[in-house]
Amino acid sequence: MTARFPERAPDPAKAGIGLRTPHFEALATTRPPLSFLEVHSENYFADGGPSLAWLERLRADYPVSLHGVGLSLGSADPLDDEHLARLARLARRIEPALVSEHLCWSGIGGRHLNELLPLPLTEEVLAHVGERVARVQDRLGRRILVENVTAYVRFSGSTIAEGEFLSELARRTGCGVLLDVNNAWINAVNHGTDARAFLEAIDPACVGEIHLAGGEATPDGIVDSHGAAVFPEVWELFARTVARLGPVPTLIEWDTDIPALDVLVAEARRADAILAGAGARREAA
Amino acid sequence: MSAAPALASLQALFARAVVAGEDEAVLAHLAGDPETARRRLGLYRRAILANQAGALRAAFPVVARLVGEGFFDEAARRYGEASPPARADLNRHGESFPAFLSGYPHAASMPWLADVARLEWAAHESLMAADEAPLDFDALARVEAAGQPCLRFRLHPSLRLVRSAWPVLAIWEANQPGRDGTPDREEGADDVLAWREAGRLRYALLAPREAAFVEALARGETLAEAAGEGEPWDFGTMLGRLAGAGLLCAFSRGAAAPP
Repeated sequence: MTARFPERAPDPAKAGIGLRTPHFEALATTRPPLSFLEVHSENYFADGGPSLAWLERLRADYPVSLHGVGLSLGSADPLDDEHLARLARLARRIEPALVSEHLCWSGIGGRHLNELLPLPLTEEVLAHVGERVARVQDRLGRRILVENVTAYVRFSGSTIAEGEFLSELARRTGCGVLLDVNNAWINAVNHGTDARAFLEAIDPACVGEIHLAGGEATPDGIVDSHGAAVFPEVWELFARTVARLGPVPTLIEWDTDIPALDVLVAEARRADAILAGAGARREAA
Repeated sequence: MSAAPALASLQALFARAVVAGEDEAVLAHLAGDPETARRRLGLYRRAILANQAGALRAAFPVVARLVGEGFFDEAARRYGEASPPARADLNRHGESFPAFLSGYPHAASMPWLADVARLEWAAHESLMAADEAPLDFDALARVEAAGQPCLRFRLHPSLRLVRSAWPVLAIWEANQPGRDGTPDREEGADDVLAWREAGRLRYALLAPREAAFVEALARGETLAEAAGEGEPWDFGTMLGRLAGAGLLCAFSRGAAAPP
């Protein structure tokens, strides 16, 4: 198939931002230098219409990352073929630089819960998710990235640490890891564990993207709200992570209480400064 | 600690906790302090409800404004119980929300509410429908006069027709941003045609026979059938309006509708 768009990889020394409806016009007219734009894939599953048209228009100026929130990779239900078909159709249309999903489940018994729910990390689940990641990659004809999620609860039956789980998933399937530094930090705070131990267990070679976001402190723990600036502790972990990995395409996720575009771009610039100090990539992804 | 159940049963237990608040069974499989875990399950439960209500609010902003926040959230919660989302794509979650509202006892004092919701869903679907080019008017112009009554049309995928016994368009317009909610008129049984043009939602009020004509064309009936058997009327003007808005996408002659 002939490419319709310029083939451009995200610049790993620069950050990107999430693309949200209120910024369509400002981005198209001001075109700030950004490594890439990321969208929630499901928001563009429509057959046609203005949102898709905007995404195509912006795709001419920026690499695009398709970030799925609904494939339910870890569910015991069968993979939703219609969902996968719509994702494949969108990928053909947009020619994304990156495609990602989450290490989670979102529905069971035919009922979708529309939330990224945690998995017990066991050999059984690793085999299950590995088989499904392989099927998704076959169907899309490309590598996907799988992201660590915020897990407000953990399972007593888990036998594999999350960092090892993701690295082994990548080794078995050839998928990459989307390393969400904010989720790692929230999990560590909420469960009293060490975020650095998790981040250091991730095989540097498989990290294809980093996510940064803000959260909200509540009496029940820190919530991954994506509705505020990145926490200082998360910036520090990010600096430590890129010092270990070298520069990796990094995304500022801010999709609730969406701020003005220049606020988002300023957060991206802050990430740029840290990425610029990270030296060369340690190992090829 | 219980033995680890198979993934499907564990997820079923988890779902029961975060959907129905029945958390005892899954708590036995969660690590750490049970009281903390119980509260954390509550975070998921609230997030799930908020996601579903948020998707409905995005598709039905006028209904949300008409009933107020607390009413809407509660209706969204009960709708989620009655019609749980079967798919990840929350843009399609509201499909039967209008039907739910028509039978919702707490909305009985607002008998027009479900029709306002139907109009909003029509607009929502219209904005997500496939793009399609208008038909070849030169080819259409070459059809001889005798063949015209037998023409059938395929209408644009974004076209929706909402027929109501209430002045739904007046209510809908009065509740757009910047309006104070007072409809311009209280009388009316509105037939509203909604479609997308140049990426934007457009709408028009139709006369009943115009609406019946568009409905019949959408079913694949011929021009002659769609025009009806009663007193002759100027259906050509309505056809011209459809053509002018780019809503005629293909035509065929004879027995079958265009593919």
